Amino acid sequence: MSEKFERVGIVGAGTMGGAIARFLSAAGVPVTAVETDLTALAGADLVVEAVPEKFDVKVAVLAEAAAVAGPGAVLATTTAALSVTELGAALPGPERFAGFVWHNPVDTTRTVEVVPGLCTAPETVARLAAFADSLPGKEALVVGDRPGFLLHGLLMPYLNDVVQAYDDGLAGAEDLDVAIELGLGYRTGPLAMLDRIGLDAHLDATEAAYAATGDRRYAPPPLLRRMVAAGRLGDKSGHGFRTQEDH
Amino acid sequence: MNNEPRTVAVLGAGTMGSGIAVVMARAGHRTIMYDIDEANLRRGLDSVHGFLDHSVKLGKLSQDAADTAKRSLSGATDLRELAPSDIVVEAVFEDLALKKELFGRLDDIVSAHTLFHTNTSTLSVTGIASGSRHPERVVGTHYCNPAPLMKLVEVADGRHTGSPAHEATVAFLRGLGKTTVVTKDRPGFIVNRFLIPWENSCIDALENGVATRDEIDAAVKGSLGHPMGPFRLLDIVGMDIHQQVATRLYEQLRDPRFFPPPMVERMVAAGDLGRKTGRGFYEYDDTRLFGS
Ligand SMILES: NC(=O)c1ccc[n+]([C@@H]2O[C@H](COP(=O)([O-])OP(=O)(O)OC[C@H]3O[C@@H](n4cnc5c(N)ncnc54)[C@H](O)[C@@H]3O)[C@@H](O)[C@H]2O)c1
Ligand SMILES: NC(=O)c1ccc[n+]([C@@H]2O[C@H](COP(=O)([O-])OP(=O)(O)OC[C@H]3O[C@@H](n4cnc5c(N)ncnc54)[C@H](O)[C@@H]3O)[C@@H](O)[C@H]2O)c1
Repeated sequence: MSEKFERVGIVGAGTMGGAIARFLSAAGVPVTAVETDLTALAGADLVVEAVPEKFDVKVAVLAEAAAVAGPGAVLATTTAALSVTELGAALPGPERFAGFVWHNPVDTTRTVEVVPGLCTAPETVARLAAFADSLPGKEALVVGDRPGFLLHGLLMPYLNDVVQAYDDGLAGAEDLDVAIELGLGYRTGPLAMLDRIGLDAHLDATEAAYAATGDRRYAPPPLLRRMVAAGRLGDKSGHGFRTQEDH
Repeated sequence: MNNEPRTVAVLGAGTMGSGIAVVMARAGHRTIMYDIDEANLRRGLDSVHGFLDHSVKLGKLSQDAADTAKRSLSGATDLRELAPSDIVVEAVFEDLALKKELFGRLDDIVSAHTLFHTNTSTLSVTGIASGSRHPERVVGTHYCNPAPLMKLVEVADGRHTGSPAHEATVAFLRGLGKTTVVTKDRPGFIVNRFLIPWENSCIDALENGVATRDEIDAAVKGSLGHPMGPFRLLDIVGMDIHQQVATRLYEQLRDPRFFPPPMVERMVAAGDLGRKTGRGFYEYDDTRLFGS
């Protein structure tokens, strides 16, 4: 049996970190979520980092969290597309570090991806997987450290493709979503999904995947950059593809 | 022209033609199903009746309404019988020459106000319209399978489609209770345009060992909110059909995302087409092949 986690610390209480903290708390797991003052992470045996998708920011936050939580704690990242191995290599204990990738919306999505880097210890993977499996309605999937892992690797090219087709005038934003929701039965159309993810979060993630692969399917479509530059980040800013139709 | 009863001819009594005929007859339109093949026509008419009976059994339709719908339905194997049509909805084989020729022959049979709808999935509306001397009355109306249950119809104008035909088409489809989205005459419109690369990328991920069949299906269904994972869906669609649609879109778009991954060709070669052959990504025992 893997050792259970007694206290979870979360750094970065945005779209994902905030929702994960609320979910764990509702599931009866003691959680501390912090943004700037990491000292409250002392005593946590699992720290989940959910700060923006920037390599240097994540490494700085993870290193500080590792120092506060001490050598007994497991460290995890919710990165969508950065390499777990590369992030771990910049930390003191890469064997105690893994990807722990939840999906959005946190309370209704079923799978949580547990991603070992090259240096992650099997015990770390086993503990995170057992933890995810113990949560209500969740199922752990252990997947390899490839750009986007499982779901984001599939999702990013699709979302980019829709944004480009929208910019190319294939149909209006609402019509695109309606066609995909009614024609394919997807719960959420792609543009509403982007608004929920956050256009900035998607841009950062797909840029990271593009940098790692050179695969043009991950290249951010120009409209995505323009939207982010204009501060149209989706639900979080009250203005995105669907939250306000004009752009 | 929303709710007025019209005379609607459905060309092709296959999967889609039968479904579209249900939609028309159920909405109170006089519906003529046409097929070149007598046996296929019979099967199509039977399947419309079967669908209506089943709806009655499920309590979704009154016996009266089903009887009325059946009375408004007739079959034809002679194109001249389609003369009274206000609208013809073409759902024959996905073959450009065939569709063009059919519309060209209909020019001389139907009235000067008849709308020509094509249900093509992957061909150009403009290309099909070029078979008619009245491309201004040709509109792409892409239904989803099964047509009686799926609300969506994608509407795409060809280069020469007139706005009266477009407006009348949208109003007519809304009168059928359909939700219309307006898109462009581009390969795959919206639904297939995004479905095909998506399915291809899932097959690639499987072949490249990103995750297992069950993991990918679980993640896509459980965390993206799709009604089923990509491999369950492909097994229902059929690998041969996926290969055909993907190849047709690739041939027009020349974008590698549309090209069927090598695994598709191997599965087709092995006869592992999905549910219909008892094996695709999953195995089934409730099929014609392995059933008694
Ligand atoms: N949004 C999604 O749908 C989604 C899905 C899966 C994974 N992810 C990944 O989760 C991570 C977080 O994404 P998000 O969408 O929640 O981002 P977000 O922008 O909504 O939230 C990030 C939070 O981190 C805080 N923050 C920024 N810099 C910080 C620092 N130096 N120290 C502490 N806190 C800091 C911000 O104040 C903000 O509250 C990213 O790696 C992202 O790729 C996001
Ligand atoms: N099957 C789907 O899921 C689907 C969905 C949307 C659109 N479509 C499109 O609908 C059309 C029909 O597809 P389907 O799956 O119903 O095909 P099908 O093979 O089930 O039926 C085609 C029917 O057309 C008849 N036919 C062939 N040539 C004819 C002719 N010259 N005149 C009259 N009838 C003729 C055939 O005898 C057959 O009964 C195609 O253009 C296809 O791309 C199919």
